[in-house]
Amino acid sequence: MKAMLQKIRKEAASVLASGEADLVLGWGKGPLWWQSYPAFIEEEKETGSLTWDPFCVPNLSKYLLEELWVKQKVALFLKGCDALGFNQLLQDKRVDREKVLIFGIPCSGLIDPQKVERAGLHQGLHSVEHQGGELVFSYKDDQKKEDPSSFYYDKCLTCRHPNPVVFDMMLGDAVAVNPQERFAAVGELEKQDVSERYRYWERQFSRCIRCFACRNVCPACSCRECIFDLTDPRWLGKANVLSENQFYHITRAFHMAGRCVDCGECARVCPVDIPLTSLNRKLIKDLNELYGEYDAGVEPEKEPPLITFNPGDPAAFLES
Amino acid sequence: MSVVEEHHLFEPMIVAFCCNWCSYAGADLAGTGRMSYPANVRIVRVPCSSRVSPNFILRAFQRGADAVVVAGCHPGDCHYVSGNYHARRRFSALRRFLEFVGIETERFEIHWISASEGNKFAAIMKDVTDKIRVLGPNRKLRDVR
Repeated sequence: MKAMLQKIRKEAASVLASGEADLVLGWGKGPLWWQSYPAFIEEEKETGSLTWDPFCVPNLSKYLLEELWVKQKVALFLKGCDALGFNQLLQDKRVDREKVLIFGIPCSGLIDPQKVERAGLHQGLHSVEHQGGELVFSYKDDQKKEDPSSFYYDKCLTCRHPNPVVFDMMLGDAVAVNPQERFAAVGELEKQDVSERYRYWERQFSRCIRCFACRNVCPACSCRECIFDLTDPRWLGKANVLSENQFYHITRAFHMAGRCVDCGECARVCPVDIPLTSLNRKLIKDLNELYGEYDAGVEPEKEPPLITFNPGDPAAFLES
Repeated sequence: MSVVEEHHLFEPMIVAFCCNWCSYAGADLAGTGRMSYPANVRIVRVPCSSRVSPNFILRAFQRGADAVVVAGCHPGDCHYVSGNYHARRRFSALRRFLEFVGIETERFEIHWISASEGNKFAAIMKDVTDKIRVLGPNRKLRDVR
């Protein structure tokens, strides 16, 4: 943990000093233990404020969309899941690879502050860090050591690419890949009766407050003009009714069909805990079944399933 | 109104998106050939089956459709060479996805109908209407305000 932090600060300082990049995107610490926010560093002397701890979860690649308008070259740090998102932006031709310098960070999983709070470890907590195979919680004058596996984000438990798939320079050694089965929740839902499933999703969608956090955080959602913002035609109304929520979520998920990198950010940022990964994974599962395995974000040169075809494709309806 | 009465009065509303080059001409042939098919079908003419966005289908359900049919040229016959191949992939995924969020598969159908298949058009529309009559009115996704 400490070694990685030193590497991050050293690399950031050297690229800014040499003029190789005019902006470094990293993480900085907020006032509370669980707050690790994106940091935008332009001066070499500011690099001391960069941080690396188990809460550095925001994907920095989406900030490139705005920063590359004004910056010549941007250096940024990407974890495994972030690198998949970066590749998706690259495939959508929203970022120029030449203008980006990537430092890859192998990531063995990040810690969900809600799980820490549920375990009752948050009172007076100062900081949390990985030490060896253990998670060390530091308080004012004592320390607690715990097994990290019960504190990881849900999305980290099913992570298939903890080591970045795209980078200019890798900081640290590759970590072991040991994902849980990611389609388990989808399989459970598929076993249910269709109207039972409708009621399940009705309960989930009725909580939605349409804050659009899931859209804004998604590395595959990068349209300059989003249909949910259009006023003419107004596809999505402003009224707080279930039907509009359903329209929003079905459309959002379907726009990601074949392009979702399954980074799990949408479900993580949802303030009302809608299991959005199940929607995305259902589409990934079906498209893999019908039109061959495709892992979005891993090979940006390969064509996504919904923009190509084979004359002999199967169909999920009766063809006559 | 009792459930029995409502069911008795129920007339399904079916929205059919028909491609201009095959299915719409097929519907036209059904008309000129004096074949009868249920008046519950509302046809929307689109340039190609791949012009149909999933939004159209959701909007139809929101505004009162009991079933949606997308009809296009047979694979290989597309006026724009590959439109219906793309439509096949897109609507296969959408059909399974709508079933996953709780919409019965009977309510969203895709058919290939050529310009010479007026009888097939009439038969499919009759078949869909009969199925929906049994299934009852659609309340899912409906925008009730």
